[in-house]
Amino acid sequence: MATPENIVTIRNLSKVYAQGEIQVTALDNISLNIATGEFLTLMGPSGSGKSTLLHIIAGVDRPTSGECLVQGVDVTKLNESQLADWRNQNVGFVFQTFNLIPVLTAFENVELPLLLTKLKRAQRRKQVEAALELVGLADRMHHLPKQLSGGQEQRVAIARALVTDPKLVVADEPTGNLDSHSAQEVLGILQSLSRQAGKTVIMVTHDPKAAAFGSRSIHLEKGELTN
Amino acid sequence: MNLPGFIVRNAFRNKRRFALSVSSVAASLFLLITLQVALRELTNPINDEGSSLRIIVRNKVSLAQPLPARQLQVLDKIPGIVTVSPFSFFGGLYKGDEKFTSFAQFAVDPKRTLPLLADAKIPKEQLDAWIADQTSCIVGQMTVDRYGLKIGDRLQFTGQIYPCDLDLKIVGIYHGTADDRNLMFHQKYLDELLGNPGTVGTWWVRAASVAEAPLVTDRINKAFANSSAEVRAESERAFVLGFVSMWANIKTLIGGISIVVIFALLLVTVSTMSMAIRERFRELAILKAIGFRRRELFAFVLAESFGLAMCGAVLGAGGAWVIFHSINIQKLTNGLFVMFEVTPKMMGLAFSVAALLGVLAAIAPMFTVARTSVVQGLKTLD
Repeated sequence: MATPENIVTIRNLSKVYAQGEIQVTALDNISLNIATGEFLTLMGPSGSGKSTLLHIIAGVDRPTSGECLVQGVDVTKLNESQLADWRNQNVGFVFQTFNLIPVLTAFENVELPLLLTKLKRAQRRKQVEAALELVGLADRMHHLPKQLSGGQEQRVAIARALVTDPKLVVADEPTGNLDSHSAQEVLGILQSLSRQAGKTVIMVTHDPKAAAFGSRSIHLEKGELTN
Repeated sequence: MNLPGFIVRNAFRNKRRFALSVSSVAASLFLLITLQVALRELTNPINDEGSSLRIIVRNKVSLAQPLPARQLQVLDKIPGIVTVSPFSFFGGLYKGDEKFTSFAQFAVDPKRTLPLLADAKIPKEQLDAWIADQTSCIVGQMTVDRYGLKIGDRLQFTGQIYPCDLDLKIVGIYHGTADDRNLMFHQKYLDELLGNPGTVGTWWVRAASVAEAPLVTDRINKAFANSSAEVRAESERAFVLGFVSMWANIKTLIGGISIVVIFALLLVTVSTMSMAIRERFRELAILKAIGFRRRELFAFVLAESFGLAMCGAVLGAGGAWVIFHSINIQKLTNGLFVMFEVTPKMMGLAFSVAALLGVLAAIAPMFTVARTSVVQGLKTLD
């Protein structure tokens, strides 16, 4: 079981992909604890398994073996539908390419995860406005993604990740498509989420400067933890 | 925003593709309805008040073979017959028509004809004038309107079946029958032009009652059995359907085209939906990641596909209904079609086809959505 301090507890986690007759080990017997409120950065070269590890923790991929407990729930044991519900309530996603729905305004993009909840319209509005306020985009809530800069799009994506008030925020190269100024802004927001809002943030990055915003950094190489 | 609103926004995100897809579905359903209406028009005999009482008597060998005029004396004595008149199809070409004249000309006995056409309305003085003048004729209102005719006009017809031409004067205009197109003139005039051959094309008989009509039919057939000119008497409906049965290949052809139309429609809708989903592959992965379940994504795909097909149905089938109710199809087709009516059954067929296509077209994209894991979808992002 996860201790109260650890939001994520990983034990002997392995992931093997079968590519035809060849087997590729993405994660090799990894054990790891992530404390509540921590801003953990996962670093490593391409193909080291950092995104795979992030996906398993976030419940969008399954390991070949091992346990992955998030807030005491072994996500590897949940079925497809349970995982979808669990993700909606417990995980916020931030991706490298923002991935906002182009036909929806910033407000509507942020509101999207809340459509799956039983919240009333007024309550949804309140939460969306609060999330957009948090990322400094309250004045752009009725803009379409194409009317926003890359940095603003990523901030909308962060607001979407936060709107359901998840304990865990996972970010996969969130600054990969941003200029340095926008990257600083986004990293600053993620850092404040961890420090001020008590969210646990797990971020995959190649960039040591980005990793410096985290409270802890771990390295993966060939599917194994190196520190 | 709510989920239905999200579906509508997605459907309209590529407006040009949506418009073209809906137009394709609409055009196909319009064509389907048009084919069904045409098929109905060609194969469904018109039923008016007197049609159940009318009996058509023709030569048993072939419709093209004439009947002896002397049969009238026998027919007059058969019980249950109210009236009987010769009905000889002249099939002439009206001046200006090169291959086809859209209204038929029948040589009849004027005194005996009117009871046969129970619904026909014609002023008495016009009827009397027709009876009195052997070279006169009466014309249906539709033909009068189409050709801009009036009483007193002279009409010339070039014979295509008979070796003679007609020169007729219009003395009456009738209306109120199910098909107000025909022209009727004196059988005696035709006989004189042909040198009194003593033959008629067919006999039209009016039975005393609907109940007696089958008995009268039987009596007529028996009366001329084993004679030199055996006859086939049958109800008007049976006669028309027999005529239509010669067009069996047309029915098959129209049925075949309808199936091809539906199949093409299916391909269009499947292709559109597949493109729409492929375009949104990344977004579907994101939706899955943030908590949308398969069943919700299936509902998105199905609703969009169904909505697209139904929009096409409203435009295509609804358009057909509006157009065929508002245009003069008889004028447009030179009298080939009279009613061209879109029935509720046809509308039901079009909407059912659209609904079915909407569902079928969603199946392949739904499989794609189901098969694709979040990670697979996310991999396409980077």
